[in-house]
Amino acid sequence: MQQFVNRKKRIFDIILILSLLFLAACAITTRLYHKTSEIRIDDDFIIVKATAIDTFSSLAAEYLNDPSKGWLIAEFNHIKSLTSGQELCIPLFPFNKGGLKSGGFQTVPVLAYYGFSKNKASKISITQDDFKAQMKYLKENGYHVITLDQLLGFLDYREQIPEKSVAITFDDGWISVYDIAIPILKKYGFPATIFIYTDFIGGGKAMSWKQIKELSKAGFDIQCQTKTHRNLKVIKKKESFKEYFKSLEMEISYPKKVINKKLQKECKYLAYPYGKTNNLVIAMLKKHGYRAAFTVNQKSNPFFIDKYKINRTAIYGKYDIEKFRKELSVFQRMELK
Amino acid sequence: MKRLLPIYLSLMVLFFFTGCAGMRKFFVDITEKNANKNNEKAPEGTQALPCSSYLEKALEYEKKDELQTALFYLKIAGTLNPNSTKIPEKIASLNSTIKHKARQHFTKGVKFCEKRRFKDARRQFLTTLRYSPDHKEAIGYLKNRLHSKEYQNYKVEGKETLKDISKKFYKDPSKDFLIAYFNNINIVNPPGSGTILELPVLQPKFNPPPIDIRIELIKAENLLKEKRGQETLDIAEKILEYDHLNKKASDLKNSAYYQMGMELSGQEKYPEAIKMFKKAAPEYQGVKEAIQQVINKELIKGKNLLKQRQYEQVFAVAGQILDDDPSNKAAEDLINTAFCQQGKDLIIQQNYTQALNVLNRANPQHDCVKKTISDVYKAKKKQAEVHYLNGVKHFLNEELQSAIQEWEKTLALSPEHKKAKKNINNARSLLEKLEKVK
Repeated sequence: MQQFVNRKKRIFDIILILSLLFLAACAITTRLYHKTSEIRIDDDFIIVKATAIDTFSSLAAEYLNDPSKGWLIAEFNHIKSLTSGQELCIPLFPFNKGGLKSGGFQTVPVLAYYGFSKNKASKISITQDDFKAQMKYLKENGYHVITLDQLLGFLDYREQIPEKSVAITFDDGWISVYDIAIPILKKYGFPATIFIYTDFIGGGKAMSWKQIKELSKAGFDIQCQTKTHRNLKVIKKKESFKEYFKSLEMEISYPKKVINKKLQKECKYLAYPYGKTNNLVIAMLKKHGYRAAFTVNQKSNPFFIDKYKINRTAIYGKYDIEKFRKELSVFQRMELK
Repeated sequence: MKRLLPIYLSLMVLFFFTGCAGMRKFFVDITEKNANKNNEKAPEGTQALPCSSYLEKALEYEKKDELQTALFYLKIAGTLNPNSTKIPEKIASLNSTIKHKARQHFTKGVKFCEKRRFKDARRQFLTTLRYSPDHKEAIGYLKNRLHSKEYQNYKVEGKETLKDISKKFYKDPSKDFLIAYFNNINIVNPPGSGTILELPVLQPKFNPPPIDIRIELIKAENLLKEKRGQETLDIAEKILEYDHLNKKASDLKNSAYYQMGMELSGQEKYPEAIKMFKKAAPEYQGVKEAIQQVINKELIKGKNLLKQRQYEQVFAVAGQILDDDPSNKAAEDLINTAFCQQGKDLIIQQNYTQALNVLNRANPQHDCVKKTISDVYKAKKKQAEVHYLNGVKHFLNEELQSAIQEWEKTLALSPEHKKAKKNINNARSLLEKLEKVK
């Protein structure tokens, strides 16, 4: 009986090994096939013929070492899907860093959300269903949700991003973001940044540091919105200039240190409370190593925007999907001839 | 188990190759099918990659003015058809067009920048980048120079302390800590002469001035309307002392200079008018045009003076224009024409030496000067001949002394005149003989 069991196990092992070998051979053959059919142009481009099993992601993984860059191939070839045997040019470099065309230039909306509620909308609180509908709209209409690091790559004129790019941010650190917005974002696989003001964290309606850490580990970006959420632009009544200056320094340096310590991640972006700033604040941000900062001017961002005055589009509670759509401006018309 | 090992190994090898062969056949089938469908022959070593379609695409993008994309498709076509001589030529030509267009738009952008027309400048720099995506200077303008600065550089002079600098820059010595903070220096140690400091530019509300800027601006605007330029200027200067970024005060200052310049121009005090216009910011609207208009008026004045043969005044007017605008060709031309005219007058007066002296001050390459110098020499020669013939006439009338005088005039104008020299010698010898006979 034992011998029978051993033999069965051996046969199973052999079948497993043979199957693995078969699959390995398939994979090697696919790669060999591409290698023989590709033409390299000056280290800038590769021309290939798509096979039945290719996708934009698989081609991007193979030729650009980054499966998330499938859009680069799609956009360069002006196609939305692949067909077997289709000839494709794969650009090996960002071919249009600023998103410039003869009719205008690319802009990136950065959406700013605050709080959420299950059912009842207010000016700064969005219902679960509305947020779901907005994210669904982004997914179904070909928008790419990018991270702030990707946005900065675009603003630095270093990296190309998809033509229909949009970034998502949340202000303050409300618990409703954790409870309502994050599960929806996870469902769609969208990245987002949460700007927290550290005095708020752990309070009644705010997220706890434990939840913040959990989000950070899950890949969400945690950045800073000062310590106390004071208006950085305005000097308070009876506040001397020196007091104002010291307050600014604390608002800017303290949360950076706290976030670095709690999350072991670099805090490099800041959202101005109320979106307000001035030269002194910007000079101080630069001194403390912040790479960019965000206002709430309701505009999209071209690559040449001042990185310390990046626009954000606040999405308010009573926006219907049509109004939301209008805020997603990804191209500014201007004759560039 | 050992007996079965070779069988296992053979099976493994067999499966591996079956896998390879199966997939290969699958891919080759697809490729062949597509190649047949397109009826295009594949270049050697590749699968069905036609060159003509890329050339067509290149042409299509070139028509749309998307030159970088057109260039890319040309490169593909060139790689697929390495024997073509036309494609490399086309690539070189397109590269040259791209460079030319990028340069053209960049230059326009810089000019708009100088005129502070930043929106127009941005459009030109963006167009530059569309043609030449790595144009570093255009990127520099777009990313840095078109944005307002939070800092202003300050060069420390002599033994200035931070308090001195703070007083000078912020009108408030107590802001010295700010300078120390942003420049990482100790507040008690002076930074040292020549050190470049970065001073954050503060909003005016952080430097409360002892004047009400809003009221002062209204005052200045009213004074400007009443054409009281100097008083407008005084108030604008005072505002700028406390708020050096105040745009309205800067505009008022420029408007006052402009207005005073126009007044002086109306009074035909052109050099003074130009000086006044030049005090306004060069990019201030209308200043360049106003300076040009005054220069044109001065030129007309100079030309009128030339007609009246008032050469020294012509030189003064044209010299002034050249002081204001050293490359003004019309003023240069006016000076040279005046020299010519003066030279011609001196020719008429038979003052050839003076004529040549005058003409030597002019530009020898100027056509009129060249011709007039030549005329002087011709006139000299002609006059020398007249004196020679007069001498001959006197000689024939036996007026030897008069003949010698005429020939001496000939030699003065033409020192190498051989006949005159010879005749003088003969006449003098005859005179000597006659003296002896007497």
